[in-house]
Amino acid sequence: MAREQQLTKVFVEVADSLIDDFDLIDFLQRLSERCVELLDVAACGVLLADEHDVLQVLAASDENTRLLELFALQYDQGPCVECYRSGRPRTNIDLADPNVSQAWPEFTPAALQSGFLSTNAIPMRLRGRVIGALGLFQTRGNTLSDADTALAQALADVATIAILQQRTLAHSETERGQLQYALTSRIVLEQVKGILAERWQVTPDQAFAAFRAYARSHHHQLSHLARLIADGEFDTEQIPRSPRHR
Amino acid sequence: MISDGMAEVLRLLQRDEGFDAAADVAVLAAVTLGVSGLTVSLATGGDRAELMWCTDEAAGSFEDLQFTLGEGPGPEAVRGDAMVLVPDLALVRPERWPALRVEAAGLAARAVFCFPMGIGAIRVGVLTLVRRTAGPLTDGQVGDAQVLAHALAGRALGSVVPGPNGAAPADSADALLHAVVHQATGMVSVQLDVSLPQALLRLRAYAYSSGRPLTDVSRDVVARRLRLDLNGNGDGNPLPVSDKD
Repeated sequence: MAREQQLTKVFVEVADSLIDDFDLIDFLQRLSERCVELLDVAACGVLLADEHDVLQVLAASDENTRLLELFALQYDQGPCVECYRSGRPRTNIDLADPNVSQAWPEFTPAALQSGFLSTNAIPMRLRGRVIGALGLFQTRGNTLSDADTALAQALADVATIAILQQRTLAHSETERGQLQYALTSRIVLEQVKGILAERWQVTPDQAFAAFRAYARSHHHQLSHLARLIADGEFDTEQIPRSPRHR
Repeated sequence: MISDGMAEVLRLLQRDEGFDAAADVAVLAAVTLGVSGLTVSLATGGDRAELMWCTDEAAGSFEDLQFTLGEGPGPEAVRGDAMVLVPDLALVRPERWPALRVEAAGLAARAVFCFPMGIGAIRVGVLTLVRRTAGPLTDGQVGDAQVLAHALAGRALGSVVPGPNGAAPADSADALLHAVVHQATGMVSVQLDVSLPQALLRLRAYAYSSGRPLTDVSRDVVARRLRLDLNGNGDGNPLPVSDKD
């Protein structure tokens, strides 16, 4: 598909999602997947600052725990933190550069170990304030062009709008309330991965795949379904287990 | 950014021996947040809440009232996992909290701000700020209150277990940023058939007693190299997969 067509598809998806009652985590995850397709990167994550100004992962293109942990490592170091603090994008950072590993001694080897060669960070901005960052990783050493960076910024802006647009079950009357609800939803999802993994004797990643497939096919919001499960108000036997389950 | 006043409150909270001795800290927190009083209610299973902090009678009466009636900004914040800010109770739609509206009329509470305390699906309780005069909190005060609610939740869940000889606790503050800790909490809750907060407490207790970081212990649990038993001990060995049901 030509890039223009892909882009059109993304913006139609975005418009659709934001009109209806939509699930934020699921939306950001799809958006991360689109980033990977459109920007020719290997992985993408959406990071949001919490009330302590610490970045937390809200969604990633690939929900595997290893990638989530790599983003989590960026709570106090790495390109996303710098981007969040400066409010400016940092692109085409070569992870093999000794200056880079010196600047971020924990993050850099972990990223290399995951097979990434370069990384980029794009700020998520809200009326002059920075609320988080989009993290992009590449495995082939290719670079982001200026046009790519502009597109990445547009996608980061879409993510910001989505976070502030979510209609929650609660009355989140303030922007801070919206941000906090988004972060809480993410944690509930991780707790539920653990609950399902243990009930089904699979890995959390496998549990999540089955959970997401069920939620999508039954038009449940991921966050809402996760809350019901965590509160013991949903019979998880209804969810078909992952194909890998014995 | 946390204000200097709130930073001081958090320092005192760290040093304090227990919730009971924290009355002065609560008063200082209310002053810092620019309100007349505040309460901290801990959820003790079901919808019942236990009042842990209460700076004054007005704040306490308001908190009692909304939990007796089961309606109001506090119960709403707990149910919805989101803060509920009411800068002027007189301007609230009458049908939102009909009973509270009638009963609270005699109390010296004009503005009320409620902040849920919890970690994901773990609901610990709620921090409620009460002011005699109408008006919103500043953005900085909302941020301060969120940080306080978070610190109180962590405290209720045992995050500030002092180490031996007053050393730092075994897990650092950033442990809760790791997906693996939340995943392990969910797994332990099923393994031991306990609630999520209980499961997190067991994990922390195990990490503390074995002198290992919470994230390491969590990784072992998720990889099924470690399984906590009912006493909260782990045998460190992979368990044969038990056939549940």
